[in-house]
Amino acid sequence: MKRILPFLIILVVLGVAVGSVVYYKKRAETPTASTDPVSPASNSASAAAATPAALAADEPGADPPHAVGPANAPVVLEEFGDFQCPPCAALHPELQKIEAKYGSRVRVIFREFPLVPTHEHALTAARAAEAAGMQGKFWEMHGMIYENQKAWHKLFDVRPIFEGYAARIGLDVERFKRDVGSSTVERRIFLDGKRAHALGVKGTPTLFLNGREVPFDSLPAERLSPLIDAELARIQK
Amino acid sequence: MPSWRAFKSNTLQPIPDEKVGPRAVSFYWTAAVISLAGIVDALYLTIQHVTGQTVRCTLSGCSEVLSSEYATIGGVPLALVGAIAYFTVFSLAILAAFGYAFAWKLLSIVVGLMFLTTLWLLYLQAFVIGHFCQYCLVSAAVTTCLTVLVLLTLRRR
Repeated sequence: MKRILPFLIILVVLGVAVGSVVYYKKRAETPTASTDPVSPASNSASAAAATPAALAADEPGADPPHAVGPANAPVVLEEFGDFQCPPCAALHPELQKIEAKYGSRVRVIFREFPLVPTHEHALTAARAAEAAGMQGKFWEMHGMIYENQKAWHKLFDVRPIFEGYAARIGLDVERFKRDVGSSTVERRIFLDGKRAHALGVKGTPTLFLNGREVPFDSLPAERLSPLIDAELARIQK
Repeated sequence: MPSWRAFKSNTLQPIPDEKVGPRAVSFYWTAAVISLAGIVDALYLTIQHVTGQTVRCTLSGCSEVLSSEYATIGGVPLALVGAIAYFTVFSLAILAAFGYAFAWKLLSIVVGLMFLTTLWLLYLQAFVIGHFCQYCLVSAAVTTCLTVLVLLTLRRR
């Protein structure tokens, strides 16, 4: 026994290691595996990383929020995002797919959560998007900044780039330049940050589906859709 | 010193424990446990990679590192290379603990190479990518601990 015991230990560890990689790879490839549509109750339980809803009420965030979709939509997706974060940029087209698929049944909210020590331009980008919002074009700027993230994230000074985007989406550029540094913009970013803190947001993107945090690996549209379907089914009951 | 004979021996036969010395054996077990932590850390990043996720952005800046061009070598995720390296160290440490003295010698060489790789990766994070990833730093800490263990056993000669 003593002769084979070391090899046995090694084999067990190898088996567990290979097994876990295969298991997670399989789970990622079958989007419905972890989200059984028959039991929406257990489904939403798995989607929830248990967020204290009471805390969220105390910190409503910037008001009004930047949102796509009607205020009375049954499903509210609330994203905390950072414009310089690569997975946030990856989430942007996924949420567009969701908006196109569900229309007025889903309301998508974007909250500013710039990770200042990590991303040197995150705050500048957040200010640019908020300043565009003051002229009613938040989502246009939001899209421009995310879609061109690779073009600006390594630059030393990104302000001329964002001013260029402002011109391209038809903003009053002089007003945009003033608004970027305004206390209104500053206040909105601060209030969103307070809300993020109250909800326990640690990183970006963090997405809440009707107040419950969506697991990070369910963010692609094809994995998010079953969660939304389950929530819609649950509400209709 | 009892461990000297164990270290010198190139035989593939296990050497009875009493000749290796209990202190050396405890070193081998420690190395095995530490490398197990390295396996878990590297496996986590491998899984993140094969499931097509870049890790969420946090205040520590992980996705910059894990989605950088240095995160893969010819399409193979560096995390997988790391997992295999830690598994090799784990296997050798277990063999050494069960009296296969040659294993520790091999382990010392592997850990030496891993330490050099760690220094290179730390350099990349600090000066090229400009961001640190906490999982990579855990790995650096694990390799450093292993290096210290190896150096301690070398000094005992």
